[in-house]
Amino acid sequence: MKAMNHDVDRVNLKLLKAAIRFNARILGLTAGTLAAAVIYVATQASMVKWGADSGGYLELLAIFFPGYSVSTTGAWVGAFWAFIYCGTGSWLSYRVYGKVLGTRISGLLLSPVSTMNPVLKPSTLRLHGVSLGVAIGSIAGLGLFGSTAWLVIRGTAGESVHAALFSNYIPGYSVSIIGGLWGAIELFGLVFLSCLLLATVYNRLVKMRHKTS
Amino acid sequence: MSRPIRDHEILSAVFAKMDVVAMTVALGSLCSLLFFLATAVLLVQTAPENYPVGEHLRDLSDYLPGYGVSWMGALIGACYGFLFGALAGFSAAVYWNLTHYFALGVMLISSAQLAD
Repeated sequence: MKAMNHDVDRVNLKLLKAAIRFNARILGLTAGTLAAAVIYVATQASMVKWGADSGGYLELLAIFFPGYSVSTTGAWVGAFWAFIYCGTGSWLSYRVYGKVLGTRISGLLLSPVSTMNPVLKPSTLRLHGVSLGVAIGSIAGLGLFGSTAWLVIRGTAGESVHAALFSNYIPGYSVSIIGGLWGAIELFGLVFLSCLLLATVYNRLVKMRHKTS
Repeated sequence: MSRPIRDHEILSAVFAKMDVVAMTVALGSLCSLLFFLATAVLLVQTAPENYPVGEHLRDLSDYLPGYGVSWMGALIGACYGFLFGALAGFSAAVYWNLTHYFALGVMLISSAQLAD
């Protein structure tokens, strides 16, 4: 039975898939909670600083966060939606990351020989830039396209002056279906490059710190 | 032919801890660069004379004192970018590690109860 879970490279695929599912949930929980905290704090800070005049840009979140407003209740509603969106996005990202990474997962451990006791003596995580770029880039691109499509569907594309400002950074982007598609492709490229850079810096620092310790 | 991957190697990769310092510095540096570029992109674009460049981005100065859409502002923004990126990297790494420890604890307790 155990042999059935191993492919030609003799990798326990069942364990690998379970591992990816586990880490995807952990990342979803981590990112969702952090995003919820950021929205909650930003809303509260806005109210403390501007009182009755608070709102402005933050109020625009109500387009994507039903029920959100810059108020005490709104802060909780915003935190809930941030948790849902960011948690789901991160969970999906890790699933894609795991899929792209596949059986190369063991190559990402810091030491060539992994620890025999991963529970009590954990290895240090390294990042795979390409897989990370594909995962986060595709989710970011999908997110931009989904947001743009939502603005078009609800009929407020023409009034979305703030969304249109993305064209400063993503040439060719506009609040339309075609513009959203083009923007998604370009954003994928930008995020991909950023992830490559992040992974390179992180891995170098890990290597340096491991050498000196 | 590649060597087979053992089960404990997969488990090592899953429960590998994130390097908090490395993630803090890496994400801080990336955010710093992105913040600088976000301002610089607006500054290098050609605009008519007296046109208010970066009107919306400038509003960030409400939250980030000293920031502005200028070369000096871009440098100050890069410092803020590093600060917030580092904070995000630190929080993410610590939270990631803690969640793993917590999950491991729950698993160990469950397996101990099953063994009894």
